[in-house]
This record gives sequence, structure tokens and C-alpha cells, in this order.
Amino acid sequence: MGKKFTFYPGCSSEGSGVHLDTSTRAVMAKLGFELEDISDWNCCGASVGDLAAGHLPTAALSARNLAQAKEQGDQDVMTACAACYLNTHATNEEIRDNEQSRADLNEALAAAGKSYDGSLHVRHACEVLVNDVGMDAIKAQVSNPLEGLKVAGYIGCQTVRPFAGTERGGDYSEYDHPSFLDDFIKASGAEAVDFENATSCCGGSVAVMKPEQTLHLMHKILSEAKEKQADVIATPCPLCQTNVEMYQDAINKKYGTDFNIPVVFHTQLLAVAMGLDSKKDAALHQNIIPADKLKAMAK
Amino acid sequence: MNAVSPTPTKKYDLSFARWVRDNIDGGDRMNMCMQCGVCSGSCPLSDQMDLGPRKIFMMVRAGMKEAVLKSNSFFQCVSCYNCVVRCPREVPVKYILHGLGRLAIQEGYQDKKDVANARFADAFWWSVTTFGKTDERLVPTLYFFSAGFVEGIKKSLANLKIALGMLKTKRMHIGMPHKTKNRGELKAILEKAVEIQARHEGGA
Repeated sequence: MGKKFTFYPGCSSEGSGVHLDTSTRAVMAKLGFELEDISDWNCCGASVGDLAAGHLPTAALSARNLAQAKEQGDQDVMTACAACYLNTHATNEEIRDNEQSRADLNEALAAAGKSYDGSLHVRHACEVLVNDVGMDAIKAQVSNPLEGLKVAGYIGCQTVRPFAGTERGGDYSEYDHPSFLDDFIKASGAEAVDFENATSCCGGSVAVMKPEQTLHLMHKILSEAKEKQADVIATPCPLCQTNVEMYQDAINKKYGTDFNIPVVFHTQLLAVAMGLDSKKDAALHQNIIPADKLKAMAK
Repeated sequence: MNAVSPTPTKKYDLSFARWVRDNIDGGDRMNMCMQCGVCSGSCPLSDQMDLGPRKIFMMVRAGMKEAVLKSNSFFQCVSCYNCVVRCPREVPVKYILHGLGRLAIQEGYQDKKDVANARFADAFWWSVTTFGKTDERLVPTLYFFSAGFVEGIKKSLANLKIALGMLKTKRMHIGMPHKTKNRGELKAILEKAVEIQARHEGGA
């Protein structure tokens, strides 16, 4: 342990996903990692940048972040956000492997006196937990096991697709029946319910643009969580967390349901299980639907 | 509007397909499509698409540029990447759809005012180029009002409870947007990238 990462927080870390950021930093520190933020980072372009500006300008956003990161050293870059990971990792590989892209993006970077060669390694925080830490080391830090808490592990899309099942993505998960999130849940001492919709889509940014076309996707996820009697849904993705939480009212209105299921991050579960502070470290006060049962377990 | 790609004049004219191959991100693998339909079959919103990716790829090859670029399919894509990981021929389906969607707007086959995604993407890109970051208050607000004042008020009111919940839990702040400090540097990089992209689209 004691490994250092250059950390890319991403836009949601200062807004809708601030509780992912807080709990990730707390859990990573507890596991002995040092995170140094990419200095003066910018947005990754998420999943809509390419529609507005095209591929190259969108990739240039990540190229600047990577050039900044490289200036800070050769240590791996880590991010906890699904979209940040996808874009940063994809651009990193493009610069490393595609000669034309490397030339184009370096020509763009040169406009600000910067350059980047694709030599860093970009990693998702979940992959780091699986490959660098492992469940035994996580369990070793659990002093407050969440006994009796039933959790529906909801991974969503971009955390795992398209990279988690490939060698270049750390090969830590398969796509249809991933186990790593359930492993985190079990490591925290909670019960992971069998959740078939683990990698179903919540609608992503289209849910923000056109909720009327995507509410059925979230309805399916919430229905299964309720049917399996989950106390909370746990997800690693900031957009999944926000969507599945904030649209429950609209879904209830549309489908005549009465969902009021807390949606937390896996790192919030782990922080509580590791005996960390429920507010300062687990940021449980930042879930709009309060996770009362989890909060009651906090030390 | 700005026509950057060739328009086929007869059936199975490959000029447009070749342009897609050379200019759309992932387009160089479109030829690998064997029309199995796993992409459309694994898409969570394909039931809301008029064509779906499988048909689109065949129609590009058949030179049906106009019918392709008038499709609503690009704008139902939720970027779930099911199609990308499931395609047995490793066609990066999502990337090609997004590239074609941008082309449809760029060449005027679809009007921005009718395409919610394009208006949302513009609001998003405005925030990114202005502040270096996504402002989760301004992007939705700009987007809500991009369809007109009345629609903007309606959408804002519909989302009021969500916004208040976000404020109360401090997941939305009051005050100036969060910013990247060296925005001049970011602006120079992005402007250069836009210039290089235009150069490539022009055939260089």
C-alpha cells in the first residue's frame, strides 16, 4: 500500500456527485492510498460533447487533463466517475495507439505549449479496489459490518462498458453478470440481493434531457430493487445515483408506484463499514432520499 | 447549412459510405457489419428508434444518405455501450451513431430546434468552453429555455423539487460556477482542435 495516484475528480465531484468524491477519498485514504488531484482539471466532455463539437475537440479536453497529469508524474491516473473514466481512458489509448490522433491532439495541445505521449495508465477506482486492494484487504478494514442491510448492487453502464472486461481496462469484470459490486457489498458485511438489472441503463444524460423517454428504464431498476426487498440501491456511478434517486417522484406519478428507495454509492457503504464518520467521510447527509437504515448503523 | 460529405446520386454509390469510413470516429470498422442485429437487439431504446443501427449501416452502404441523416435513431442513444461490447465484429456502433447525428445537424438534415439532444449538447459545450466545467445548474436551465420561454418555465417548474433537493443536500451550490483557472489555455487547445477537425473534414 502507500501507492500514490493522480486523481481526476470530474465535474460531478463539485455538484451532484460530491458524496461520491467525499466517500471515495475517505475510503482510499483508509486503504492507504494517496490521491493528488490533477491540477486545474477541466471537464471530460461526458457523453454529449461529441454531438456539440465533434470527436477531436472532445478528445482535446481529456488530452489537456492527461498532459497536466503527466506533468505531475508517472503514477497512474484514477477517477471514480464512470464518464470521466471512459473519456480519459479512451483518449489516453487513442494518443498512445493511433498515430494520426496523437499528431492531431499534440498539435492542439501545442497551442498552449503542452504535449502528451499516451504513456500514463488511466484507471477506474473500482478496478483499483479489485486489482490493487482485493476483497481481503477491504474486509480487513471493516470494523463495523453492515449486518442485516439488504443492498441491490446497481453498476449501470459506463463503469464497466466498454472497458472493464478487456485487458486494457484491467479485466476485472464481465459485462452480463459482473460480481465486483456485490463483492464490495459483501465485504462491507451487508447482504447483496441477486440483482438482474445490475448493468441495465438508467438513461444517462438522455434521462436529463428527455425523462419522458427514459422513466421506464429507471422504473424497471426500482421495481426489481423493491421486489427483492432491498433497503438501499448502491451504485458506483454519479449519474446513475442522481437519476435513479431524483426521478422516483416522477416515476411514482407516471406508474402509480410508491418508490422511496435510497440510492447510495458503494463507497458510502464502505465508509460506514470501515467505521468512518457518517457525515464527514460517508456524506450520508447528501442523499436526497435519506438512507436511514444505513445511517443508524454508522458509528 | 454546411455540406461536408458527398451526396450519392445513384443507388449503391459508395461516396458517402467512404466519407463515413474516413471521417466518422469508428467509421473505418463499419464495413465489418454483417447485419446480425445484435446492436439493435441489445439497445435499451431501440423501440423508440425509427431505424436502429443495423439498418442505418446498410443504408449508408446503399448510398441512402438523406434517409439516414433524417433518422431519429442517433438521438435516442443513451451511451450505454451494450452495442459496442456485444457486436461480434467489434464495430464501435455508438461512436458511429454519434458521429452521424452530429453530421445530420451540421448538414441541416435535422433542425436543432427539433432535436433536444443537440440543444442540450450546445448548452453543455457552452458551459465547458466558458468555464472549463459543466455547471449542473446552468446547463439544464439553458437547455430548458432553448425550446422557448413558455417551455422553459414549464420544464423549470417540473424540475423545481429536484433542484431544491439538490440545494438542500449541498449537491448544488449558490454563487458563481466552478471554473478551470487557466481557461485561456483550454480555449487555445479547443480552438486548435476545432481547426484541425475542419481541416480533416475538408479532405486534408
